[in-house]
Amino acid sequence: MSVGLDNLKHIVVLMMENRSFDHMLGALMQKNRKINGLTGNESNPDTNGAIVKVQPNAQFQSQLDPDPDHHFPGVDLQIFGGAPQGAGRVANMQGFVKDYFSQTKDVNRSHNIMYYFTPDKLPVLTTLATEFAVFNGWFSSIPGPTICNRAFAHYGTSFGQVGMDIFYILDNTIASIYERMIQAGHTAKIYYYDQPSSTMEIVNLLKNQPQIFATFDQFITDCSGNTLPDYSFIEPCYNDHPGADGGQVLASDQHPDHNVREGERFIGSVYNAIRTNPTLWQNTALLVVYDEHGGIYDHVVPPACTPDGYTASADATGTGAPFAFDRLGIRVPAVLVSPWIPRGTVVTGPEDAANGQIFEHASIPGTVTNLFLNGDAKRTVREQQAKSFLGPLTDQMRPDDDCVVFNNLQ
Amino acid sequence: MAPKIIEVPKTDAGAYNPNRPAGTLLRSQALHMREALIKHVHELTTLLNIDMKSLVTEADVSAYVHKATALLHTHGGKPAKK
Repeated sequence: MSVGLDNLKHIVVLMMENRSFDHMLGALMQKNRKINGLTGNESNPDTNGAIVKVQPNAQFQSQLDPDPDHHFPGVDLQIFGGAPQGAGRVANMQGFVKDYFSQTKDVNRSHNIMYYFTPDKLPVLTTLATEFAVFNGWFSSIPGPTICNRAFAHYGTSFGQVGMDIFYILDNTIASIYERMIQAGHTAKIYYYDQPSSTMEIVNLLKNQPQIFATFDQFITDCSGNTLPDYSFIEPCYNDHPGADGGQVLASDQHPDHNVREGERFIGSVYNAIRTNPTLWQNTALLVVYDEHGGIYDHVVPPACTPDGYTASADATGTGAPFAFDRLGIRVPAVLVSPWIPRGTVVTGPEDAANGQIFEHASIPGTVTNLFLNGDAKRTVREQQAKSFLGPLTDQMRPDDDCVVFNNLQ
Repeated sequence: MAPKIIEVPKTDAGAYNPNRPAGTLLRSQALHMREALIKHVHELTTLLNIDMKSLVTEADVSAYVHKATALLHTHGGKPAKK
């Protein structure tokens, strides 16, 4: 075990919304060839058969409206390019433009799904990715939408759910990571942004577990007051709404068509809250990760994975075929921050056949359970086999002046 | 030496649009909240239907008060602090 890991007292996870790895971080490959991003030659056919290459034209807002499809049948089309269900079909990541056309009904506009950001547009996320650790192989847990994917971050399973319906705890022996921690005498909290934004997928816990919820203001207070729980999960603001003081509160989740720059500012504010407390900074690891790709292009084929014992019916998937939870969803950005991580760390993924590692959202409760509870909890097989994401922490802590600070966030 | 400072640009003026049509995710969130409220109402109704005369022993009363307190606790205006 590294000194950095020995020293670790807090894990903070910030889960953003609906952006793929290549869309947000793919351009970083031009700076560091170890990052499995974009060469510029990746492409998809459009509905006229023309080849559409990836382009560095992503904008903060107004480009991905209507919201790109990311429900199970749509993601199946994106991954398999429209090949019919059945054994032997090959995942090729060739159906993104076709799928977006089904919504836009406009060939030119369907090309927007291939756009990616240049690093200068995302100074917070790309700085954290290059200053600390970036994961080449972090995938959403299910090739589907938000709710089922976020369930994996809380329970290590979605209890068979592949859609947006409220999920039910079909196995009462599997507790949420928050309940596990509290029952074992640890502290854990979900910080949602404010009450008009609230929590997204965990309404199951709202009534029964009010003690595990707090607002983002409280997160800031807990950081400055050295009262941060052992484990914290942060939810961004999910909608534009009037503030309590009559001002404007912008969605910061980066879900299309919310402003991506506001999300950048939110990520920066979470980082700064930890970074500016010297005690907290040296004993906290911050993971910034996205729940799923939101229908936006990524070039890496999602790998197979350990099933978690559930099967979604053909009716539930909407593809005409059942799903045994044996394939991960599309790759998402994931960045781990700690002063114990050397600058420029790249955790290789499926592109590295010898040493690459695959992560998914079950890695979140899995890592927290392993660190704080010595793995002592009833867990799904999927979670038990999920990799810990704390590997990048080393024995050497970087000096304070070697770690960036973000400015202009107020 | 001071740490490197990264300037973060302000969000574009005009980004705020509370009149934007709510997408699938937000509409699902509202449905999930409604489902949670229905469950809440069921439990509330069950408690309100208990005949007060049936609370005879201290155990009866404490069981009732326990459930009532748990329900009323969730009606607080703000989430609980640590």
